[in-house]
Amino acid sequence: MYRGQGTTPRQCASMRVRSPWVMLAAGCMMLGGVLAVADALDGVLQVRSAFVDLDHSVFQLHARIDYPMTPAISDALRDGVDLIFDVDARVERARRFWFDSTVVDLTLRRELAYHTVSDRYVVRDTATGDQQTFATLDAALQYLGTVDGWPILVGPQLEAGARYVISVRAGIRRGHLSSSLRALLFWTDDWSRVSDWYTWSLTT
Amino acid sequence: MVTDNLTPRRRPWGTWALGLLWAVIGTSALLLLAKSVQHSSDFGRLQPWILLLNVIGVIGLTALIARKIWQLVSDFRANVPGSRLTARTVSTFGALVIAPLLVVYLFSLDFLNRGIDSWFRIEVKQGLNDAMLLSRAAIDVRMREYGSRTEDFAAALASVPHEELIRRLNEELRATDASEIVLFDSDQHVTAFSSDNPLEVAPAAPPRDVLRQIGQHRPYVGIDPQVGGQYLIRVAAPLSESGDSADRRYVYAVYEVPQQLAKLSERVQQTYSQYGDLAALREPLKNSFRLTLTLVLLLAMLAAIYGAIQSAQRLVRPVQDLIAGTRAVGKGDFGTRLPLPSRDELGYLVHSFNDMTKRLRRAREEAWRSQEAVERERGRLAVILARLSTGVLAVDRELTVRMANEAAGQIMGVDLAQATGSSLPQLAAGKERFSQFVAALVVRFAAGREEWREQIDLDGGSDRRALMCACTPLVVEGGERGYIIVFDDITALLQAQRDAAWGEVARRLAHEIKNPLTPIQLSAERMRRKLTANMGREDAELLRRSTDTIVQQVETMKQMVNAFSEYARAPDMKITSFSLNELVAEVVELYRSSGSRVQIRMDLDPRLGIIEADRGRVRQILNNLLVNALEALEGYDSRAIVDISTRLLQTEDAEWADPYVTSKPRGTGLGLAIVKKIVEEHGGRIDAENRPEGGAIVRVTLPLRDSTRAAHSHRASGVRPAARKESLG
Repeated sequence: MYRGQGTTPRQCASMRVRSPWVMLAAGCMMLGGVLAVADALDGVLQVRSAFVDLDHSVFQLHARIDYPMTPAISDALRDGVDLIFDVDARVERARRFWFDSTVVDLTLRRELAYHTVSDRYVVRDTATGDQQTFATLDAALQYLGTVDGWPILVGPQLEAGARYVISVRAGIRRGHLSSSLRALLFWTDDWSRVSDWYTWSLTT
Repeated sequence: MVTDNLTPRRRPWGTWALGLLWAVIGTSALLLLAKSVQHSSDFGRLQPWILLLNVIGVIGLTALIARKIWQLVSDFRANVPGSRLTARTVSTFGALVIAPLLVVYLFSLDFLNRGIDSWFRIEVKQGLNDAMLLSRAAIDVRMREYGSRTEDFAAALASVPHEELIRRLNEELRATDASEIVLFDSDQHVTAFSSDNPLEVAPAAPPRDVLRQIGQHRPYVGIDPQVGGQYLIRVAAPLSESGDSADRRYVYAVYEVPQQLAKLSERVQQTYSQYGDLAALREPLKNSFRLTLTLVLLLAMLAAIYGAIQSAQRLVRPVQDLIAGTRAVGKGDFGTRLPLPSRDELGYLVHSFNDMTKRLRRAREEAWRSQEAVERERGRLAVILARLSTGVLAVDRELTVRMANEAAGQIMGVDLAQATGSSLPQLAAGKERFSQFVAALVVRFAAGREEWREQIDLDGGSDRRALMCACTPLVVEGGERGYIIVFDDITALLQAQRDAAWGEVARRLAHEIKNPLTPIQLSAERMRRKLTANMGREDAELLRRSTDTIVQQVETMKQMVNAFSEYARAPDMKITSFSLNELVAEVVELYRSSGSRVQIRMDLDPRLGIIEADRGRVRQILNNLLVNALEALEGYDSRAIVDISTRLLQTEDAEWADPYVTSKPRGTGLGLAIVKKIVEEHGGRIDAENRPEGGAIVRVTLPLRDSTRAAHSHRASGVRPAARKESLG
């Protein structure tokens, strides 16, 4: 089992090199009052825990994610809005005198929708097409927040003696938007949010 | 602004750099936006960058406009040429652009609000809700039907022996629309099952919802949408109705909703979902459109204002250049060259201006050359005038000195080097000779005489001067008329003429008188010698006295003739070097030892060394002066010095040295005349004047070196004092 070494998501985020321009842009956005609409995805969005274990030379990711549960989300789902839940996993090889190299960059993408006719919440894996239905939103979010045995890496991809950094983050955004609508909603679309990176080191 | 380059004005590199930066920012924002809308997963990552680029663009544009407006206001307050025209042009352009923009903006906002609201009509929403409820009701009927049948079947199955279970399940499967019927025991083990799929060897475990419901010993009926639009109705029913029963078995049946119903329900579901999706975008869409419109309006307004300012400045800049160029030309900078703004009318105007300044510069250069030539000529003339021994004086009608050469000052005995611009009467104040000269000029100008040539005699006490003046009108600077007076000191010339005339008279007189004197003297002596013996004593005595008188007077006349001869004798200078002090002491000692009661006092300057002169003639000067002084003192005591001076200078002041001018009863009047003649032959100068306390001063000035004698001898005036002998009578 390869677990994170006591780093909180916030600390990990501060460790990551964040462009000050992004922060400046966010500040300008707030100062300019361009986005006056409240964040519909407000609430806790974080990777609570994550680790990988090795099973027959396959590194499997296990993560627990807290997704926000707000009336806005529930109402939007019941009104027919689909939500995309992404889990991004990234493995980078740390290099001393150069930028880190990316070994793996994967996304586990699932779609949550409310089926009005059956009064059930449907979670669909966009890659495989498999879907699960749930009677409640809590059950669906709990299912989405549990990632078990997601194979992200195989042993031959790693070099002996090297240090690797595994990062995991979760994101929510509105699904099924056409390009034109997304362009139109550029200024006011608050249905998009990502968590901080949850990062830990892996030494082979 | 002012340059020598006549090519059209080029934009500064900063403008090109800003434009390039603007284009890069805009293109980058567009590319990022395109990428984000194509790959929705990148939207969250790219949105801040897109916002940043846009914010940078807006801030940059705002900063540019603010800078332009600030510059415009500053220029307006400072009354910079062209600023008012720029402000007026910007205001006009701005008003012309902003007003239609605002109108379009307001109409567009209203149109958008109404248009988007019309998309989500309440009737549509209601219809969709009704369709959804209808679908749900239809499926509910099926669910209740399948639930009831399954419960009945479970109740019937409770008493069926184990061997009959599979058969009953198969019969039930065939009798209903179920796709699968499974009998689970209390441990969730499959007791028996029947499926319409012959390949299925084991049934799938029921979902958690089913297990949770059955765990509470209650039947379960639920619908489960499947991939592809199919619906499954899952029903679970315990075999015994009592929860306390030991039989915890239950029947789990899966029914497929009829295809037609499922298809219609799925279509209703999709439509409802799409409508809901769009309806959720209603306010965000409106806000987005409002924001986009507002941003477009702001950008358009800012761009319009910036464009108006740029256009106005570009339009006014040539005018400003022309104003600045005109001012520069007004200040005398004819090298001003304005850059050509374009090939239009303004360019033609600027080209004409440049052509004009070019011609002006050429004209000024020619004027400079002419002025330099005039200055050179004036310099030459000044050198010539300075070298002239003739005085030249230029005055205007108010007798203000415009020009005076060095000789004029020397003749007048004043310094006229700094007299330019001064009033001639003021310069002459306190200077007797110069005042007389100015007075003579004033008299003639007052009489309206502007062109004349006359001799003006100046009476400066002992120093009388005769000037030959010529006056002619002249146009002086500024077109004002004035006079130029040329005058020459002809005192020496007149004196020389006079001396020459006297010399000629003396020579002829001596020649004419000397010839008969000897026969007269011989005749008188013969007459006395021949007749004395034959005459009586008294007659003889009378004859002797008469002849003695004749002889004595003849002798006196001979001396007089010799003196005249001496005066008329041509100069025969024998220049030697000797000590003047020694010569003076030698002569004075001679007269001191003669027994005269007159006391002679010497005051010699020991610094006076060797001079070059004719020693014999200088001795003659000293002798004559001392004899004159001693003779003048004859019969007077030491207190009668005043009388001596009166006798010495009782004649006209300037004529005391003329021949035959004497106040002594037996004087020939040639002593001082000879002194003066010898002095002038040495190139020196002699003058005399009475002293206020009595007595007189005779001042003899001789050149130290013989080389300067010739140069000085022709100029009676302006001789630099070299040796001075003062004789107190």
